[in-house]
Amino acid sequence: MKMVGPERRADAPVMAPQTPQRSSRPGKAGALLGLLPIGLVILLGLAITFALRERYHHRVLTLVLVWATMGLAWNIISGYAGQTSFGHQAFFGIGAYVTVLLIVGFRLTPWVGLIVGAVAAVIAAALIGFPTFRLAGIYFALATLAYPLIFRIVMDFLGYQEVAIPMMRTAPVAYMQFSDPRAYDLLALAALAGTLVLSHWVETSRLGYALRALKENEQAAEAAGIDTFRAKMLAYMLSAAPAAVIGVVYTHAILFVVTPEAVFGVLVIVQTLVVCLVGGVGSKWGPLIGSAIMVPLSETLDATVGDRLPGIQGVVYGGALVFVMLFAPEGIYWRVGALWGGRRTPDGFTDAVGTTPVTAPIVLTVSGRASVERGVPLLDVRGISKTFLGLQALDDVSFAVRGGDIVGVIGPNGAGKTTLFNVLNGFLPADAGDVRYRNERITGLRPSAICGRGIGRTFQVVRAFPHLTVLENVMVGAFAREATPGAARARASAALAAVGLESRADVVPGGLTTLDLRLMELARCLATAPDLILLDEPLAGLSRDGVDTIVTLVRRVQDAGISVVIIEHTMYAVVQLVDRLVVLDHGRRIAEGIPNEVVRDPAVIEAYLGKRWLRRIENNHMGGPDIVMGGPDMAPHTPRRSGHPGEAGPPLDPPRSGHPGDAAAPLDPPRSGPPGDAAAPLDPRRSGHPGEAGPPLDPPRSGHPGDAAAPLDPPRSGPPGDAAAPLEHPPVDPC
Amino acid sequence: MKAAETGRVSSVRILAIAMAALVAAPLLLAPVVARAADDLKIALVAPLSGRWARQGQLKKMGAEMAIAEINAQGGIKSLGGAKIVLREADAGDSVEKAVSAAQRVLTGRDKISAGIGAWLSSFTLGVTEVAERLEVPWFTLSYADSITERGFKYTFQSSPVSSLQAEQALDLVVDLAKKNNQPIKKAAIVGDNTAATVFFFKPLREKLFKAKGIELVVDEIWTPPLADATAIVQKLRSTQPDIVFYGATNFPDSIQVLQKIKEFGVKVPIQGVGAWLVTPEYVQTVGKELLDNIMSVVAAHPLKGQEDLVKRFKERTKEPFMTQDPLMTYYHVWLIKEAAEQAKSYDPKAIRDAIAKLDLKSGPAANTLLPGRIRYDERGRRVGATPIIVQWQGGEPFTVVPADYAMRKPIWHGGK
Amino acid sequence: MALGDLLQYLVTGLLVGGVYALMSIGLALIFGVMRVVNFAQGDFMMLGMYLAYFLATGYGIDPLLGAILIIPPFFVLGLVVHRVLLHRATGRGDPQRLMDTQLILTLGLSLIITNATTMLLTPTPRGIRTSYATKAFVVGPILMNQARSYAFVMALLLAGAVYAFLTRTDAGKALRAAADDPEAAGYQGIDVRAMHGLAFGVGIALVAAAGGLLATYHPIEPTVAVNFIVLMFVAVVLGGLGSIPGAFAGGLVIGIVQSLTLLVLPFQLQNVGVFVAFLLVLYLRPQGLFGQRLRAV
Repeated sequence: MKMVGPERRADAPVMAPQTPQRSSRPGKAGALLGLLPIGLVILLGLAITFALRERYHHRVLTLVLVWATMGLAWNIISGYAGQTSFGHQAFFGIGAYVTVLLIVGFRLTPWVGLIVGAVAAVIAAALIGFPTFRLAGIYFALATLAYPLIFRIVMDFLGYQEVAIPMMRTAPVAYMQFSDPRAYDLLALAALAGTLVLSHWVETSRLGYALRALKENEQAAEAAGIDTFRAKMLAYMLSAAPAAVIGVVYTHAILFVVTPEAVFGVLVIVQTLVVCLVGGVGSKWGPLIGSAIMVPLSETLDATVGDRLPGIQGVVYGGALVFVMLFAPEGIYWRVGALWGGRRTPDGFTDAVGTTPVTAPIVLTVSGRASVERGVPLLDVRGISKTFLGLQALDDVSFAVRGGDIVGVIGPNGAGKTTLFNVLNGFLPADAGDVRYRNERITGLRPSAICGRGIGRTFQVVRAFPHLTVLENVMVGAFAREATPGAARARASAALAAVGLESRADVVPGGLTTLDLRLMELARCLATAPDLILLDEPLAGLSRDGVDTIVTLVRRVQDAGISVVIIEHTMYAVVQLVDRLVVLDHGRRIAEGIPNEVVRDPAVIEAYLGKRWLRRIENNHMGGPDIVMGGPDMAPHTPRRSGHPGEAGPPLDPPRSGHPGDAAAPLDPPRSGPPGDAAAPLDPRRSGHPGEAGPPLDPPRSGHPGDAAAPLDPPRSGPPGDAAAPLEHPPVDPC
Repeated sequence: MKAAETGRVSSVRILAIAMAALVAAPLLLAPVVARAADDLKIALVAPLSGRWARQGQLKKMGAEMAIAEINAQGGIKSLGGAKIVLREADAGDSVEKAVSAAQRVLTGRDKISAGIGAWLSSFTLGVTEVAERLEVPWFTLSYADSITERGFKYTFQSSPVSSLQAEQALDLVVDLAKKNNQPIKKAAIVGDNTAATVFFFKPLREKLFKAKGIELVVDEIWTPPLADATAIVQKLRSTQPDIVFYGATNFPDSIQVLQKIKEFGVKVPIQGVGAWLVTPEYVQTVGKELLDNIMSVVAAHPLKGQEDLVKRFKERTKEPFMTQDPLMTYYHVWLIKEAAEQAKSYDPKAIRDAIAKLDLKSGPAANTLLPGRIRYDERGRRVGATPIIVQWQGGEPFTVVPADYAMRKPIWHGGK
Repeated sequence: MALGDLLQYLVTGLLVGGVYALMSIGLALIFGVMRVVNFAQGDFMMLGMYLAYFLATGYGIDPLLGAILIIPPFFVLGLVVHRVLLHRATGRGDPQRLMDTQLILTLGLSLIITNATTMLLTPTPRGIRTSYATKAFVVGPILMNQARSYAFVMALLLAGAVYAFLTRTDAGKALRAAADDPEAAGYQGIDVRAMHGLAFGVGIALVAAAGGLLATYHPIEPTVAVNFIVLMFVAVVLGGLGSIPGAFAGGLVIGIVQSLTLLVLPFQLQNVGVFVAFLLVLYLRPQGLFGQRLRAV
C-alpha cells in the first residue's frame, strides 16, 4: 500500500499554472474597469435628467429607467440562467402592493416599505421556485405564469381592486411624493444603477459561470459540480428583489394608484419581455437598449398618431416588434455586436496541430479531503437495479473500485453501461441497491454533491458549453473547488496544461476536433479535483493517434493517484489499460475480473457475439480474445435508434452506427478529417439525443428543437426512460 | 467572405434606416396644428383604444356636441367670444397609459384650462393626481368615494359617490316596489368584482338590506370573465328573490347572465347598478325582448325636457339613444364654459375657484343633472347629486325615477 | 347537494369545455409541429368570430354553418402568415432563442390584429342573435343550453376530422412525422417547412372555426381574445404539450374544473381552481394528464 505521488497531499497548495497567463486576471482594477460603463450610463442618465424640461419628458425617462430595471431583473433568471419566466410581474406586484398597503394601513414610509416588499418578493421567489424548478423550458415558463394570475384574482377577491396612495402633504419626501419630476428620474436611476451593478456582479461571479453553464447544458453543469437547483434558486431570488423595488418606484412615480391589473397583469410581463427580447437577452445592456428604444417609441406613437387615430399606435408598435424580430431575432444588442464586432468563434481547426505534447503534471489538489491510498476500497457498488417502465436496465450489479485502479466496464449495446454511470454519478436514482464511496452512502445525492465528494465524469458524446471558451468550460469544473473566478481560472489553466490543451484556451468549442473536445472535457473533470473519474467511451470517434493520446493521459491520471472507471468499446485499448473488467449484458453483471480472463469467459463471448459465434470459436479452437478484440465494432445487436419516436427501444446506449453523420466507429478517420466530422460532437442535437445518457436529464437548452424539447415533451415517445423524465429528474430534485 | 460582409453591412443599414424611420414616422405624421391663442382648451382623457375604446368614443361624442353648441352660440362671452377646443388623449387600457396621457396633454404645447376623464375609476385616481400637481381643475363621472377622499383641490366629482348611490338607489327601488304593491322581502346580489360594483354592493350587503328588513338570499360575485352563468341563474331560480341587484360590467359576462335568465325562465326584476347596462350594443346583441323592463341606477340620463337634446345627439352621432357617458361629458363641457364665463379667465386656477364658488341654477349644465342646481362642496363632490333609475322599454332606456323627471312610467315585474 | 345539481354542474362544465377544447387543438397542433408558442392565436379566433358575424348578418348564414365556411379562408390566411412571418423564426437554431423570437413576433402580430380590428370595425361589441342561444334541451332534471350543445357537437366533429386527417391521410402522416422528428422527416423527403405551413394553416383555421361556434352565443369585440388565450395555453399544457387529443381533453377538463370549483371555492376564485389544477398537473404530470397514450401528433 504505497502512497500515491508525493504531490497529492491534502494540504498541498494549488499548483501554479504551467503556461503563462493568456488573459490578464481581473484584479481590483479590472473589476473597477468593468463597472466603468455602468458609471457612464448613470452619468448619461443624470445628464438627461437635468437636461429635460417638460414634465412629460421626465415621465418618459422614468418609464425608460423603470422598464430597463424590470428587464434587467428578469434577465438575471431568464437571460443568464436561461429559465424564461412569464411570471416575473409577481414580484413587481408584490413590491407594489406590500408598500402601498403598508402606507395605507400603517402610514409606513415606502422607503422602509420597499425593503419589506423586496424581502417579501424574495421569500415568494423561494416558495415559487422550490416546486417550479423541477420543470424546465416552456414548462417552467408556463408554470410561472400561473402565479401572478392567481395573485391578481386573489387581490380582487380581497377587495384591493384599486388602492390609491394617500397624499401626504406634510412629509412628501418621506412618502416618495415629489413635486419635482427629476426626483422620480433619480429614484428610478438609482434602482437601475443598483440592478446594473447586481447584473455585473452576476456576470463576473462564480454564480454567473454556473448560470451560463447550466443554461447551455444543465446536465454537464451538474456533473461538473454545479448544484444547478441551488444556482437557479439563487438567481431567481436575486432577480425578485429588484423587480419588487422597481414595482414600488413604478407605483409611486407612474401610477399613483395600485390595481391588480396594473401590477400583476399580463401587460407588465409583456412590456418586460419586449424590452428584453428586443434589446437582447443575456447581457446587462440588452434590456437597457430595448427600453431606451421601445418605451420612447411607444410614447411618441401615443403622443402623436395615437391621440388622433386611436389604435394606430398599437398597429405601428406591433409592426415594430415584428420588424425587429425579423431583422434582429437575437435582439439589437447581439445583432449590432455581431455586425460590428465580428464573431467570436475563431477558425480554430484550420491550424491542424492543435494539441501540444503533454508535459504538465496532473496536479489537482483540494484541501480538506483525505488522499486516497492505493489499494484501499474507494467505490463499492452493491446490488444496483434500475428499471425503466418494465425494462430492466440494471439488474443487481455489484463491483468495487480500489484506490488507483482502472476498471473497465464493457458490454454490448443496451447492456446498461451508461445507465450504470448515470446511477453512479447521481443522474438517475437506483431502484434498489446502494453505492458507497469512501464508506459513505452516496446513493440519492445530487450529481453536483457526488462531484463535490470527488467523483468526476465525462460523457459519451462530449457535453461542451458551446458559448463559453475552452478555458471557461474548464473553469466551470474548477469552481467546484474555488470560490473566485481568479482562482478558478488558475486551476482551470493548470488542468488545461495537464491535458495539453493550453493553446486552445481562448477559443469556443465550436472550432475543436473530437480529440480536443474530449481533452477539454477531461480537463473540466480533472479541474473538479476528483479521486475517481468515470469515463464514458472516451475513445469513441478518435483516430489511433487520438486513442493513444487519451490512453496515455488516462495512465497519467492513474499515476496521479486518481482511480478510473472507463466504459469502452475499443477492446484493444481497454485490455491494455485496465486493471479489472466488469462485463454487463442486459443489465446484469456477467463477469468480473482481470482482463485476460474475462475476455475468454464463454459467457462474455456469447454475450458479445451470440451462441453461434461461441460454438465456432470453440470448434475452431481459436483464441477467444484475439477474435473478440479484433473487430472494431463488437456490437452484433441490430443497431437501432433508441430515440426514435414510437419505438420502445431500450433506454441504454445508442447504436454505434446508423446515425446520420455519426462518425463514431472506433476505428476512425484521422483527427483532421472532414470538417463535418470534426464538428460533429459539437452539433448540439447530438448531445441532446434521447437515450444517450439518460434522456430524462437532458437540459432543454441543448440545441436541436426536436431533441431539446424531448425532456419537455413527454408525449414524444422516446425510450421508456423518457416517459418518466420530468418526474424523476434528479438534478432538479431538491435534495 | 466579401459577399457575406457586404450582406452584413447592408443588413445593418436596413436595420438602421428602418429603426430611424420607425422613430421618425410618427413625428412626420403629426401635423403641427397652430390654434388661435384665444381658444379655451379642454383636455379629455378617455380610453380611445383597447378594451374600453367604445366608452371613450361615447364620451368624446358628448364633449364634441357641447363644444359645437357653445361655439355656435358665440363661445365664451366674458372672454370675448373665445371658442372651446377639445384636446383628447388616449388613456388606452392601462393606468400607466392613462396617467401618461394626462401628463402629456396637460404639459404639452397647449395651455389647458380644465380636464375631463378618465372613465375607469382607477384611471381617474391616477389622472387626478397629475391634475392636482399641475393645478388644473379635473372633472370626472367616476363613482369611487376614494377619488374625493384625498383632500384634492382640483378634482370635481359629478356623480353621486358609490356609498351614497347604493343607499339612494335602494330607497328609490323599495319605494317603487311598494307603489306597485310588490314589497321587497328577498333580494339577490349578482355581479363581478370590479371596483365600481364592489363599492356599490358593500353597503347593501353590510347594512342597508338589514335596515330595510330585506333578506339577502343570493350573493354571487365573480371575477371577470365569467365562464358560465348556469350556477348563478340556478340559484336565482331556486330562491326566487323579489329583486336582483345586478353588476356585470364586462359586456360578454352580462350577456351570458341575461341569456341564461331567459333560458331558465327565471322571472325576477333586475336592477342594474351602473350605466354599463344601458348601452345600445345590448339591443343589437340580445334583442329588446330580453332587455325590456330591466332597470339600472345611473348618475345621468336624459331627463324630461331634454328630448330635444337627445334628438340632436342622435342626428349628430347616429347613435340610437343618448346615455350617461356622452351626457356627462356634455355636461362637463358646459360646466367649464359657465365657470370660465364667471372667472373671465383662461387660467385653470381661476376656473377652479369659479367652480368652487359656482351655484348654477339654469342653463344646459344645470338642466342635465339632478337636482338641477349645480354646486360642489369643499371636497369636490357635487352637492345633492342623486342617482336616476332608467328602464329598458321597447328597446330603449328611459328615465323612470324620480317621477318628476321621468320620460316613462316604470313597469314593475315585467307587468306580471 | 343533490345528485341532479352535481350532474348539472358536470354537464355545464363539459359544454363550456367543448369550445375551449376546439380552440386549444389548433394551438396544440401549431406547438406540436412547429414548437411555436403562438400568442396571436386568440386574435385569429376573434377574426373568425367577426367573419362568422358578417356571414350571419350579411348573408343570413347560421354561424354553425359559418364556422365551417370560414375554415378555407383562414387556412389560406394561416399559410400566408406562416410564409411571410413565421417561417423566418422557425427551424434551425437555439430553441430558446427561437422561442423568444416567436414570442415577440406573435405578440407583435397580436397587437397589429387587435388594434387594426378596433380601428376598422370599431370597438362596439356585436353579437349574432341566434334563437338557440337562450334555449335549452331538457334531459331529465338537467338543462343543456342549445347553442353550447350544438357547439360542443360541432367541436367534437371537427376535432374528429382533424384526428382522422392526421392519422389516415398521407399529408397528416407526414405532418406527424415532421412533428416527431423534423430531421428524420427531412431525410425521408418530407418538406418540413411545407409541413409547418400546413400545421399553421390548419391550426389557424381550427381556432377560427372555434370562434365561429363561440359566436353563436358569445358577443364579439376586438379584444375578446384576452378572455380565452390563457385558458387555451392551460388546456394545451393539461393535455400534454403538442398532443391533439390531449389538448381537446384539456379543454374539457378546464370547463369541468371551472364548474366544479364552484362547489368548494367562492365564485370569485373560480379560475384559481383552474390555475391550481394547471400547476398541479405541471408539477406532478408534466407530460399532461393523459400521458403518451392519447398522443396522435
